[in-house]
Amino acid sequence: MEELMEILREIDDSIDYEKETALIDSQLLDSFGVITLVAELEENFDITIEAAEMVPENFNSAEAIWKMIQRLQEN
Amino acid sequence: MAYNASLYIFIFLPICLAVYQMTPEKHRWKVLLGFSWLFFYMISGKLIVYLLGTTLLTHYIGIWLTWLKTREQMEIGNADRMQKKEIKKKYQKKRRAVLFLGVLILLSVLACLKYYNFFVHNTEMILDRFSLAFPLETRQVMMPIGISFYTLQAIAYMADVYWGKIQAEENPGRMALFLGFFPQIMEGPICRYSDTAESLYQGKSLRYENISDGYVRIFWGLFKKKIVADRLAAPVGVIFGHYTQYHGAVVAAAAVAYTVQLYMEFSGCMDIVIGSGKLFGISLPENFRQPFCARNASEFWRRWHITLGTWFKTYIFYPVSVSGPVKRWNQYGRKHAGKYVTNLVTSALALFPVWLCNGLWHGAKWSYIFYGMYYFTLILLGTAVKPVRERILQACHIREDAPYWRVLQIGKTWVIIFTGELFFRADGFRAGLHMFRSIFRGFDIRQFWDGTLLGFGMGRADLIAVAAGCIVVAVVGSVSERKGNVIGRLGKVRTPLRWCAYYALILAVFLFAAYGDGYQAVDLIYAGF
Repeated sequence: MEELMEILREIDDSIDYEKETALIDSQLLDSFGVITLVAELEENFDITIEAAEMVPENFNSAEAIWKMIQRLQEN
Repeated sequence: MAYNASLYIFIFLPICLAVYQMTPEKHRWKVLLGFSWLFFYMISGKLIVYLLGTTLLTHYIGIWLTWLKTREQMEIGNADRMQKKEIKKKYQKKRRAVLFLGVLILLSVLACLKYYNFFVHNTEMILDRFSLAFPLETRQVMMPIGISFYTLQAIAYMADVYWGKIQAEENPGRMALFLGFFPQIMEGPICRYSDTAESLYQGKSLRYENISDGYVRIFWGLFKKKIVADRLAAPVGVIFGHYTQYHGAVVAAAAVAYTVQLYMEFSGCMDIVIGSGKLFGISLPENFRQPFCARNASEFWRRWHITLGTWFKTYIFYPVSVSGPVKRWNQYGRKHAGKYVTNLVTSALALFPVWLCNGLWHGAKWSYIFYGMYYFTLILLGTAVKPVRERILQACHIREDAPYWRVLQIGKTWVIIFTGELFFRADGFRAGLHMFRSIFRGFDIRQFWDGTLLGFGMGRADLIAVAAGCIVVAVVGSVSERKGNVIGRLGKVRTPLRWCAYYALILAVFLFAAYGDGYQAVDLIYAGF
């Protein structure tokens, strides 16, 4: 989880990722931020993120992102 | 029968509401379907076969994808880990082929109807340079209403079933209602199945709150369309129609006037559409959210024609950004080009098809393609200079949320919007370029207030009505920006104030709308797309 937090802070360090639960819905993370994040996640966690995963529910909070990573690592 | 026509608001809608309410709950969706087809037939006649064809195809592809998924799960049942992987891969391939087939057929129909003449004309021009003849000729093509809108809805539905986000609809009639629901068939909003299907089929009984909220929203739309947009149609038509005769402030004013006309018209139409859905208790997605409060081009497109932007983001931008070639570039770029360049190129690769499609979606014209490329360049430029911009702001001690900085950014965005709309409305790319250049020829700012702008089919009274209408819309927009949708919450304010607002709105529409001699009925602009 700490590795994920570091990646997120590198993309935008002005967001409180521990509390924020509407990263996409509140447009704190825009679509460019999302594709940068996806590239980082694939590289750092050895996962493949398909288009079907690109939904706000998977990216709205650090916890949701972490759950997606774990789910994709299990597959 | 346009949405702003009396026939629609005072006859079609009330009859539909009455029949809907008299029908048993479980059959009400069939009433909506019947009236939707009637609405479509009244406008496009026999071309309804295109809608029916799209409906059957979309339904069939959905069922096919589900059948493949079921087969996959059955085969996976007793398989070991390695076999499971193989089975998944095999069925993934099959489902992808089915989705591809469905999308290809839909896009082919759209291309034949919408882009055939554009293709023939441009190919002829190219071959002509080499003294070669092209065997095909341009021809008169009749397009059914809303094809650009319902085609996108159908593609979104197929992709959502493919991704497993929704279950396929088994009833073709229900599918027909989802694609052809009459309030949204002509101009959108582009709905996703997961957002609207349930409420479409529910058959909720009519309720006083929904009827009053719905009609308030409809009248709010009429206010924008009839008081502001229809008045601006005349001067915009004159200046854009005879653009070679004008220059300087007149052309600049025409670009502003067209932008205001388009916004009032399209967002007004969306108010009527969303209000119409509300009457039946059906929530349709919002398509506008105070676009003129945007601080950059990117934010503008998150506030303007929202459902189209969301569609492009979901079904083009993200799929392209996680596609094989882009991922391979990402891996290569991170090793050899650094993060900044890699991210920028990735953004460009994903953004380019979005804006090319955005331009083409509006129509088969080079000026629309330019319009798409214009925003592609601006948005990409915004991403490219972001790190430098942040450093400059920091060095100059400028806070992003400082009011003066916000005003400056909004002003800059307005210039971007007005310039884009000038090219969008101009009669071709060359005309747009000519008009843009002519702004800087003999520009005299005094022309904005010395009466020069009167006399393009709009008198002083019209100008006052337009200005007053814009101020009302701006105030409502400003309050909505800070406190949420004002018009939507009007039903909750105290009774005397509420009725005062109702009367003011209705009277304004009847007293100040552009009716009578000297005014012509103005067609809905986006219905042409």
